[in-house]
Amino acid sequence: MDAATGLPSAQALRERLQGAAYLADEALATSAWLAGTLERPLLLEGDAGVGKTALASALAQVQSARLVRLQCHEGLDLAQAAYEWNYGRQLMAIRLAEASEQRLAEADLFSRSYLMERPLLQAISSEGPCVLLIDEIDRADEAFEAFLLEVLSEYQITVPELGTLRARQIPLVLLTSNGTRELSDALRRRCLYHYLDYPTLAREIAIVKAALPQADTALVEEAVQFVQRLRREDLAKTPGIAETLDWVRALHRLHPQALPEDMGALLLTLGCLLKTREDRFMLTPERTRQLIEGRRSVGVAEKG
Amino acid sequence: MNTTPLPLSERLAGFAALLREHGMRVGPAEQRDMLATSLHLGSLDMDRLAGAWRAIACSNARDWRQWPAVFEQYWLPHRIKGTVKVSGQTRPRRDLRSQLQQMHEGMDGDAPSGQAASGSADQGSSDETQATQARAQGGAGRGQPDALHERSAQMWMPQDLHALQLLARQIQRQLQSLPTRRWQLHARGRRLNLRATLRRSVAHGGLPLAPAWQQPRTEPPRLFILVDVSRSMESHAAFFLRVARAMAQAADARVFVFHVNLAEVTPLMRSDSATVQEKINAVTAGFGAGTRIAHNLMEFARRHARAQLGRQARVWLLSDGFDTDAPEELAQALQTLRGHGARITWFHPTRQAPASLAVRQARALVERFHPLASLADLARARPYLH
Repeated sequence: MDAATGLPSAQALRERLQGAAYLADEALATSAWLAGTLERPLLLEGDAGVGKTALASALAQVQSARLVRLQCHEGLDLAQAAYEWNYGRQLMAIRLAEASEQRLAEADLFSRSYLMERPLLQAISSEGPCVLLIDEIDRADEAFEAFLLEVLSEYQITVPELGTLRARQIPLVLLTSNGTRELSDALRRRCLYHYLDYPTLAREIAIVKAALPQADTALVEEAVQFVQRLRREDLAKTPGIAETLDWVRALHRLHPQALPEDMGALLLTLGCLLKTREDRFMLTPERTRQLIEGRRSVGVAEKG
Repeated sequence: MNTTPLPLSERLAGFAALLREHGMRVGPAEQRDMLATSLHLGSLDMDRLAGAWRAIACSNARDWRQWPAVFEQYWLPHRIKGTVKVSGQTRPRRDLRSQLQQMHEGMDGDAPSGQAASGSADQGSSDETQATQARAQGGAGRGQPDALHERSAQMWMPQDLHALQLLARQIQRQLQSLPTRRWQLHARGRRLNLRATLRRSVAHGGLPLAPAWQQPRTEPPRLFILVDVSRSMESHAAFFLRVARAMAQAADARVFVFHVNLAEVTPLMRSDSATVQEKINAVTAGFGAGTRIAHNLMEFARRHARAQLGRQARVWLLSDGFDTDAPEELAQALQTLRGHGARITWFHPTRQAPASLAVRQARALVERFHPLASLADLARARPYLH
């Protein structure tokens, strides 16, 4: 525990994450710890399926914090991300006031009770510890990034009718990006940065074992080796950790000991890993057998 | 001799300067955070400190990948067997490469040798002999005196730079934005966005006083420029990098250099520093003999630009086509890029398109080949770059 901040140290955080079935390496645990200590957002970049979103869930779990998630998409605006006035209720209040001949001040209409809080405002207003996940920020428009700057640097949101709402407790903010668009320098500078790559063989085996302790070790090792080799293939959609877990789960139910010898049976389960028709077409039984055996390409003898 | 170590803050300032030299955006705020972190963690556990500082100093995947080397270079120099000084200038190992290259040139006879042997491309020499040789390479013996704008890349006048920037802007304007399937709100849109209109009307008691219009969303092409900086390209790389730099600044292009490895140099390209070439030398440290075009294209497609390669992507390959990978691999790599929808343009320093077996096999996958040895060549290629 850090005496100055009251937060767990990087090592302690890593151990807690492990307890929540999220195996972070030392660098990732340090980055997450630093985000809490320096009260700065953490930008996580990496391919889809490497565990960026899962980190936010695990952090919320280990810190007993509320997880607030903002899923970004094209056209995301302030009304969907931060707040929106509840016009329906405001109109109803006006009509009720007219009917009862009461005087209604403008300040009454534009008060917090008529404000619908969206994820950003929910995180800012949270009384207790909170983890704010801004997922796939690269899908949002540049204009939305500009709005985020105020939230991420000052932890405040300005509502013209109400004034500036400041965070009661600084939330731990995680932004994720799959790199489909370059983020602005201004946004990057406000964040700490961590690039999450696909896990190494040993780490992925450990992740699968932690998530599926009932699965046979030999099966897990063979399956993860296969997935690691598969990631080196030219696929339209590279399988992530979630896909590995799905596949091992499926294999465990079908063949609890090891990868099946029968290619037909194995190919039936590959839908867990390969998510496009092209990838499925590319992975022929022969290529699948080569990957299981650890050969990268067709040998000279086989060519002849 | 005074052996008192410098205070951490001063050493950190030197480290921050080195990081900036490598294109990282490290300012006083980042230095302050790094110092605070070292107080939290203690300065003895360098590995943990390196991890924490990495999160503070890096801001993109490129920074992230080059961090370990830069960190070791400054803080743990004894671990480095290295080839590059902090200044970015190469050590004598380059002389060995130079000798090897001369041996190759001696054997090949037809390689563009004269200029490569006579000095580096970025020295800005105005030696007439060099200029003549460069013209011979770029102009391929056209037998007529070159106009000012036809002059070799090594002799840059302000008007040449201005012309290049102008060309880059013209090309950028020509890159056609493509409509996507999405629609976006626009004041002058031609289709009503019913959902948004209804939403806005709530604020006016249900009356649609503020209709929301929309139009198709367009996206500008994403330009990627890959510059071959291998030994055989030494006399042309400087010009290619100038073109790449102009496009990076005008069209927001991402620029990569490759030899046996691939490295992104976009941040350096966007800076106005006059010593950018030296910095690029530092980034490309460790590049050895041979050019692996196919390998690097695959690396580019799979790792560096995978998420951004789509039908709006334009890939410019600036290379002479000499590849040490197996000939069929180049076609496979280009096919991978085409599979993502990217359009590929190949710029070569010679008059004729590269004729190596690898390029011949992959010719159908390249949209166009353009000679590029002078500004005039770029101007001639301009109408086709859209």
